[in-house]
Amino acid sequence: MSEGSAVNEVGPLVNWVGLWTIVRREWSRLMRVPVQAFIAPWISALLFIFIFGFVVGGRIAHIGGHRYLEFVLPGILMMNIVNASFLQSSSQIYFSRFLRYVEESLVSPLSYAEMIAGVLSVVIARSVITAIGILIIASLFGVTSIQSIWEFLYWVISVSVVFGLLGIIIGLWANNFEQLTILNVFFITPLSFIGGVFNTVNMLPGWMHWMAYVNPFFYFINGLRYAMIGFNEANQWFGVGVTVALAVVMAVTVWRLFSIGYGLRE
Amino acid sequence: MTSALKISHLTKLYRRGTLAVDDLSLEVAPGDFFGFLGPNGAGKSTTIHCITGIATPTSGTIEIFGVDAVKRYRDARRLIGMSPQEFNVDTFAKVYDIIDWMGGYFGMKAPERRVRVNMLIEKFDLEAHAKKQFRDLSGGLKRRVILARSLVHDPQLLILDEPTAGVDVELRRDLWRYLQELNKEGKTIFLTSHYLEEIERLCQTIAIIYEGKIVKHGPKKEFTDEPGGIEAAYLRATGAEPDHAEAPVT
Repeated sequence: MSEGSAVNEVGPLVNWVGLWTIVRREWSRLMRVPVQAFIAPWISALLFIFIFGFVVGGRIAHIGGHRYLEFVLPGILMMNIVNASFLQSSSQIYFSRFLRYVEESLVSPLSYAEMIAGVLSVVIARSVITAIGILIIASLFGVTSIQSIWEFLYWVISVSVVFGLLGIIIGLWANNFEQLTILNVFFITPLSFIGGVFNTVNMLPGWMHWMAYVNPFFYFINGLRYAMIGFNEANQWFGVGVTVALAVVMAVTVWRLFSIGYGLRE
Repeated sequence: MTSALKISHLTKLYRRGTLAVDDLSLEVAPGDFFGFLGPNGAGKSTTIHCITGIATPTSGTIEIFGVDAVKRYRDARRLIGMSPQEFNVDTFAKVYDIIDWMGGYFGMKAPERRVRVNMLIEKFDLEAHAKKQFRDLSGGLKRRVILARSLVHDPQLLILDEPTAGVDVELRRDLWRYLQELNKEGKTIFLTSHYLEEIERLCQTIAIIYEGKIVKHGPKKEFTDEPGGIEAAYLRATGAEPDHAEAPVT
């Protein structure tokens, strides 16, 4: 080195190339498993739409003036967005720890914010692509309604961020594949099913109504449903507040875990 | 003159209570080829991990060319290239991508990366393997990829944690030649190895770490001039009896 020269060299405030590299790299990993990443959720959504929306739904009365297929689609969409976001970030973090290539980013001039932003960018991209695919499938069954594109995008992106952040926490915590799937099996799937994917709150027995109102998935699904078909069972602003609050809590937790090096640094 | 590496009172205590590095202080001059020796578990890799950011120091300071490795970690890391003992790689990724992504992490733009990655691929004789997945390579080829990756951003301080472990004699000699070239170009090299022959051949300065502390440090001549040479000096410093003990190195 020309002695002393590097000492005074200060890198850019944001390492944009580094951040973009995290995205490129993870996208490349995702493209190694396209069936798992995209085809599987699309096929699953197709089956849900066909069986519950088309076959069974054809025998169910309209809900709030909407065909059952129209009613059930936002729930199916939300379930897949939640799964795509959570699986993306949890597997990205877990595998980078498991194979130890997380050390490549640890020895690089990347900030925690850049690492987290890189992970979330891919989470959002995967969720949006998953959602677009499901909308295309739904259009084959004659369901295409999106009443407010901005509200639709808000729900897709904000829920992706919440579950992307939750996936990072689990990816940092998990020490084996079993632990990686625990949250999905015992928390995400049950709560999304009872959060109103297939039914309104009024369809539940009276004693179960409170379970819907304390379940954050209910607000996610209700928000997306409102954005798509205008059907609403709760205060929209309260739902927005729930997602923002969850995103803030998760973001603070992730930031703290990164700054103490939990699961990352020795 | 600013040291290439200055470690002051570094201590690393793991959460489970293991004291891996104990109040270690060390300086490496710019342009030095520095050998860092010690038995398994002495604290070599932990020291390296603290320098490079893989581990967080419990206390003490580390400066890379005068840049604090914790407070100004981004600037400090631009100056370091690291080749770890174990392969910390996405084994399904392709050779070209592994080196290219590392350049990206260091903020190198695409045209600059392309030139540098191609140069390193040629230098390490990896042209025929650039599109192969890392897992499909032999041990020696894997080691070359790791070395190429550590050099992609043209670091001033190169930290090599047992870079020739498990490679054949030919490649070992090629690597030695390349490391000597780099050192002649002005790069500072910090090398750990279990091969005393390697340390003796390449390094100008040597330090021995034992139970987390530096037990001997000085120019190579101080070690080679001891009765029994570098091996005896090593064994004495690490508490073994040179006359009776088997050499711990191969």
